[in-house]
Amino acid sequence: MLVAEKYSWIVSFTSPLLLLLSTMAAGLVFYWTWNKPPLAMSLEWFSLGGYTFTAGVLITNLSCLMLLVVTFISFLVNFYSTGYMAGDPAIRRYFGMLGFFTFSMLGIVLADNLLLIFVFWELVGFSSYMLIGHWKEKPEAADAAKRAFIFNRIGDAGFLIGLMIIWASAGTFTLQTLSESPELVGWQTAASLCIFCGVVGKSAQFPLMGWLPDAMEGPTPVSALIHAATMVAAGVFMLARVQILFTPSALDFVALVGGLTALVGALAALAQYDIKKILAYSTISQLGFMVLAAGTGASEAAVLHLVTHAFFKACLFLAAGSVIHALHQAQVQSHTEFNVQDIRQLGGLQKKLPFTFIIFLISGSALAGIPFSSGFLSKDAILSSLTLWKGSEFSWRWAIYAVGFAVSFLTVLYTFRMIWTIFRGPEKATIHLSVAEPPLAMRVPMAILAAGSFWILFSWNPFDFSGWVYSALSDNTSVHLNYISVVSALWVLFALGVAYWIREKEITAPVFTNAFYLDSLIKRVVEAPVFHVATITEHTDKKWIDGFLHTTAYIQLIAAHVTGWFDRVVIDGFVDGAASLAKGVGSLTRSFQGGKIQLYIFWAIFPIIIFIIWMLL
Amino acid sequence: MFPITHYLFLGALLFCSGLVVVIIKKNMILVLLGIELMLNASNLNLVAFNQLYPNSIQGQIFALFVIVVAVCEAAVGLAIVISVYKYFQTPVPDEISELKE
Repeated sequence: MLVAEKYSWIVSFTSPLLLLLSTMAAGLVFYWTWNKPPLAMSLEWFSLGGYTFTAGVLITNLSCLMLLVVTFISFLVNFYSTGYMAGDPAIRRYFGMLGFFTFSMLGIVLADNLLLIFVFWELVGFSSYMLIGHWKEKPEAADAAKRAFIFNRIGDAGFLIGLMIIWASAGTFTLQTLSESPELVGWQTAASLCIFCGVVGKSAQFPLMGWLPDAMEGPTPVSALIHAATMVAAGVFMLARVQILFTPSALDFVALVGGLTALVGALAALAQYDIKKILAYSTISQLGFMVLAAGTGASEAAVLHLVTHAFFKACLFLAAGSVIHALHQAQVQSHTEFNVQDIRQLGGLQKKLPFTFIIFLISGSALAGIPFSSGFLSKDAILSSLTLWKGSEFSWRWAIYAVGFAVSFLTVLYTFRMIWTIFRGPEKATIHLSVAEPPLAMRVPMAILAAGSFWILFSWNPFDFSGWVYSALSDNTSVHLNYISVVSALWVLFALGVAYWIREKEITAPVFTNAFYLDSLIKRVVEAPVFHVATITEHTDKKWIDGFLHTTAYIQLIAAHVTGWFDRVVIDGFVDGAASLAKGVGSLTRSFQGGKIQLYIFWAIFPIIIFIIWMLL
Repeated sequence: MFPITHYLFLGALLFCSGLVVVIIKKNMILVLLGIELMLNASNLNLVAFNQLYPNSIQGQIFALFVIVVAVCEAAVGLAIVISVYKYFQTPVPDEISELKE
C-alpha cells in the first residue's frame, strides 16, 4: 500500500515486473541446482527450552522445478490480471495479495523443515482467503472465502497434530534428518495420516473438497493461480516432499482417498453448467489423480502431472476468464443481462472469439489427455505407475486401477462437452452481442501457457513420459510401459467418440450436479451435531457457568454490603465515637465556665464541701 | 455561760446561709449581703474562740478589723454594683455576658 490511490495503476506494472524478476531468479536457481546434489542452508530460528528450531531452505530437483513453475505461472497470471482487473477499485490490495500468495507458496517450496512449511501453509490459506473474498461486497464471495478458510483449518488441525506426533517421537522437524531416519516407533502411520489430513484440506480431497468450487467466486485469475501454481498444488507438493515418511498402509489410504476424489470430481464436473465450476471439479478430479499417484508411491508421476496440470489448467482458467471478460464487456455495452458463466446460455462462440477458442482447445486437449499434449504424458505416467502398483494378484487395488481409467474417460467427456457447448453449436444468448477478443495483456499469457501444454516441453518423445522432468525426479529406472501408452491413447480416442456421440445430451443427474450431496452430508453429519453441541454448550454456559458467576457476584455483593455496613457502623462509629467523646468532654468542661459568676463560686466551693464531708466521715 | 459549740454551730449556720445566699441569689446586692453574713460568721467564731483565752484580746481586735474591712468591702462592692447597674441597666450578674461568645 505504498502507492497512493491515485497512482494505483502503477502496481499493475510493478507487480508483474517484480514477479518477472523472481521468475528470472528462479530460473537462475534452477540452472544452478537442477540435477545437482540438494542445496541446503539453515539458520537458527529460535530456542525453546532446550530445543533449537532452525529455519532454512532445501533445494532439491523437486523444489527447484516447483520454484520455476510457481514463479512463472504467477508472473503470467499477474500479467493477465493487469488486463482482467483493470479499473477495479481495490487493485492495490489485489496485487498485494497476489504477490503475498506467491511468496507464501514459494515459502512452502523452499522450506527445509515441517514447522516452516506449516507456517507458510497457513499463510497460503490466509492469502487465498483474502483473494477469494476479493469482491467482499458480494455475500457469496465472502461466504466462499470463509468456507475455504474453515475447510483448510480442519485439514490444518490434522497437520498440526501430525507435527506434534513427529516432534514427540523424532524430536526434529528437519526434512533431511527425518528422511535419513524415518523410524517413528509405532507412530509412523498416525503421523503420516495426520499430515495427509493437511493435504486433504489444502488440495481439496474427499471429503474436504466443497470449498474449491465455491472459491470460484473470486476473480478468475485468482482461480487460475489457486488451481495451478499455489494453494492446491501445495498439498501435492508436500505429499511428494514428505513421501518418505509414509508407511505402506498410509500410502494405501492416500491412494484410496485420491481415487475416490478423482472419481467424485470427474462425475460432478460432468453435470455442472458454470464454466468455472466445471473447471473447479475438474481440478478436484485431477488433484485426486495426483494424490492417487502419490499413494501408489510414484510421487514423481504426481509431480509431473502437477506441473503439466499447472500449465494447462492455468491456461484453461485464463481462457475461461477471457470468455467471461469478453462477454461481460459486451454485456455492459449492449445493456443485456444474463449469466455469462452459464454454458447453457453460451454457444457458437468460435467465430466471435477464435483466439480464445484455439487456446481453449489446446489446453482442453491437454486436460483430456489427447496424445501429443502434456496431459497425455503425465496421465500416462500415472496410469503406468498404477499398473505396476496394482500387482498381478487381484485385489482392491484393481478397483482403484479401474477408477484411474474411468476418470481419464470422464475427463474427456466433460472437457469435450464444455468446449463444444461454449464454442460450437448454435449461438444462444450471445447472438446479438458484438464480442471482442480481450486485450493483449490477457492474450499473451494465454498463448504462452498454451504453448506449455504441448508435449515438447516435458519430453521429446510424445509417447514416452520419462523425459527430462520425470527422470530427474525419479531415482529408479523408468517405469514406462509401452502398451499403457497405446491403451491410453486408444482409450482417449474412444472417449472422444463417445463424447461426440452424446454431445447434445443434457446431463441432469442431481447426484452429480451436487457432487454426491457431499456438502449436504457434511451439513447434516457435521454441521447439525456441531450446532447441537454448540447449543448445549451455550445452554450449559448460560445456566451453569453464568449461574456460578452470578452467584459469585451476588455473594461478593453481599460481602461488600456487609463490609460497607461494618465500615460505616464499626469503624466510622469508632472514629465518630472518639470524636463525640471528645466533644462531650469538651462541652462538659465548657459547661463549668458558663460565664456565671455564682456558678464559678459554687464549683469552687463544691470540692471543698466534698473534701470536708470526706474528712468528717 | 454557753459552751463554745453553740457559738460554733451558730457561726457555721450563719456561714452556710451566707454561702447559700451568695450562690443562689440573683441580685448582686443580695450576694453582697450574703458575703456580709459569711464575714459575720467568721467574726462570731473569732470572738467565740477568744472567749477561751480571757487574758488576750487578739480575737476581738481581729473581729474589729474584719468589721472595718467588711465596711470597706461593702462600700467598694456597692460602688461596683452601682456602676455595673448604670452600665448594663441590670443588677443581675447572670445577664451580664459580654465575653460569652
